[in-house]
Amino acid sequence: MPIETIIGAWVATGLTLFIFSFLYKDNPLFKLAENLYVGVSVGYTIVKTYDTVIVHLIWTPIVKNGEWALLIPVSIGMLMLTRYVPKAAWLSRYAFAFIVGVGSGLAIPRVISSYILKQIEDTVRPLLVMVPGEGLSFTWNLLNPASSLNTIIILIGVSSVLFYFFFSVEHTGLGKVVARTGILFLMIAFGAAFGYTVMARMSLLIGRLTDLIEFTDLSYGRPSLWLLGLTILTLVVMSRRASHKPEEE
Amino acid sequence: MIFLRRQVPLLITLITGLVFAAQYYIPHPASEQMLTSVTKWLQIIGGFALVLGVSSLFHVHAIKIRRKEAGWGYSFVLYVSMLGTIAVGLWSNGKEAVDGAMTSFGWIYNFMMVPLQGTMFAILAFFIASAAYRSFRARSREAAVLLIAAVIVMMGRVPLGEYLIPLSGDLSQWILNVLNASVRRAILIGVSLGTVALSIKIIFGMERSYLGGGKE
Amino acid sequence: MIFAERMLKIDRRIIFLVIGLCTLLPLLYPVGLPIKISPEVRGVYDYIESLPEGSVFLLSLDFDPASKPELHPQSISLLRHAFRKNLRVVAMTLWVSGTGMADQVVTQVAREMGKENGKDYVFLGWSPGGTAVIMNMGQDLYGAFPADYNGKPTKGLPVLQGIANLRDVTYAVSLGAGNPGVEAWYVFGKDKYKFELGGGCTGVMAPGLYPLLRSGQINGLIGGLRGAAEYETLIGQKGKAIAGMDAQSATHLAIIVLVILCNLFYFSLRRQSAQ
Repeated sequence: MPIETIIGAWVATGLTLFIFSFLYKDNPLFKLAENLYVGVSVGYTIVKTYDTVIVHLIWTPIVKNGEWALLIPVSIGMLMLTRYVPKAAWLSRYAFAFIVGVGSGLAIPRVISSYILKQIEDTVRPLLVMVPGEGLSFTWNLLNPASSLNTIIILIGVSSVLFYFFFSVEHTGLGKVVARTGILFLMIAFGAAFGYTVMARMSLLIGRLTDLIEFTDLSYGRPSLWLLGLTILTLVVMSRRASHKPEEE
Repeated sequence: MIFLRRQVPLLITLITGLVFAAQYYIPHPASEQMLTSVTKWLQIIGGFALVLGVSSLFHVHAIKIRRKEAGWGYSFVLYVSMLGTIAVGLWSNGKEAVDGAMTSFGWIYNFMMVPLQGTMFAILAFFIASAAYRSFRARSREAAVLLIAAVIVMMGRVPLGEYLIPLSGDLSQWILNVLNASVRRAILIGVSLGTVALSIKIIFGMERSYLGGGKE
Repeated sequence: MIFAERMLKIDRRIIFLVIGLCTLLPLLYPVGLPIKISPEVRGVYDYIESLPEGSVFLLSLDFDPASKPELHPQSISLLRHAFRKNLRVVAMTLWVSGTGMADQVVTQVAREMGKENGKDYVFLGWSPGGTAVIMNMGQDLYGAFPADYNGKPTKGLPVLQGIANLRDVTYAVSLGAGNPGVEAWYVFGKDKYKFELGGGCTGVMAPGLYPLLRSGQINGLIGGLRGAAEYETLIGQKGKAIAGMDAQSATHLAIIVLVILCNLFYFSLRRQSAQ
């Protein structure tokens, strides 16, 4: 095992345990790891942005390939940075106007096509299916999401939820029944979302613990076990010192 | 001066918005070439936008260190780690690995950034469990429905749940593919209609909050 | 009454301990329950299985280290499957902090399957702009990525022969942890450039992608660690996802028990205060 991997294993395990120490109590170890995290992430982003944007997207095409037209987006980008110069900050409006204008213009037809038209198209599918040789038939299979029964349920779900969010009309009488159906569908969907969120968060924890278990191996020098002991010791010492201080005061 | 400060930006938004909305419907080679160029420009501008986001962070922590506010030591750690990562990254030419061999920049990425970011999000697992225990109570009929749906989905999406109660697997599949899909579809349609309406308002100058920067 | 109240106000660190043990013990002592395959995951698997040799497979690893436990196993399984089918793999990422991880996983699996960089696969790297990158690739791939991640010019690479833009991609899969992710690939990619699209995502994003799955806008969805485990089962190569399933089962059961207990205590408290 190369020495940098062993050192890396110890550093990674230590930082992981420092962050886990937050579960016991907010403490300096956690704050150290937290600030380290922000610093390293931002540093990484800056390096990657510099390497990709300045070197590969601007310098090489303009200087080596002579694509002088790229000076236009560079100047727009520079205009954007004038936001930090109070006297010239109004210049940045041109840059933002361009970006927002282009972004909105590009998004409108694509969003309409993908999220509105296509989604409505799939909701209003035919309820009766034409089976060759048998004529029209209505399929009842609940387990097949494309069956006729499920198509009706989806139609009811989509319309009642859309109606529930339509607050310009008062939800009374028939409207109340539709709105309540909408709420029922919404609650089931939120329950499913909660179930999946739990699954996702647990998966993240499983991933970290898998790595920690991997680092209990002798080839790394068992950093997980040693550093766990060290972290617990540090937390105990810190909480002892904290409980002694108010006694003195 | 007001013309330059307020009207011209709005004019730029109007023209660019209309041109690129129309572009979608015009398959002429010239219009496609325009789209190619503009999307290339947006990539470069996107890079500058990242710089913008990062510099505000610089600013906030620099003030904290200069004024020696409470916890400025941690801001110092942040600064040092940021500058250190940048220095190492530039020294390694921005590469994490060269011909399969890890560089020092790659070392920082693999043994500091990945564990730090991974663990920050992993501790959320504990908080969701504690929050579920403390507040996930069936106070009303709707809350009870939410609870039951959540339990069915949590049961049906793990091998143990499907092994103990096979029906939970089929039921959770039905909930996800039919009930959940219909609700999410309605939300998607509703939100998209809102997005399109907002975009149209921005293009026609009825919504100006995005301009920011400077008076008026 | 006092018992129920005390139990409801229990120190949350005890719950943390329960969750920690439920995750740790199954990882140390796995059981290995069978995993049922869902139609969503089968959609992606069957489509890749049906692709002829030499088809262009675009894999966009749109996630950062925070989502590594869920999406990294998915990427490994997909790459193994694609390489096994001798597809031309074009990998990339739209998330800056995931670049190192993406490069590593592509290089690692390619080496494992004996594939050559430039000939059988290419890692394009990252470019800023998110949706702008997708659109630019749709117009002109070489304009969006003039060079691959190692600096080699993309024009002239054997693996990209005959590919001018996204219209020439046979199948694209985006492993997304947020925005830009699967939705962006559809709205700014498939909608205009008409390639087939599949999706992989974290558990948090999965329920929101079902409308797209139902309407056929994406032909399959690999959701979270469970989806990754199903895919590993389909390709017959166990990995970290299957290994984590027992811990997943245990933690879910723990949460269900906690929620049921909390409601039992709550209702007994309510009944007693009503009396």
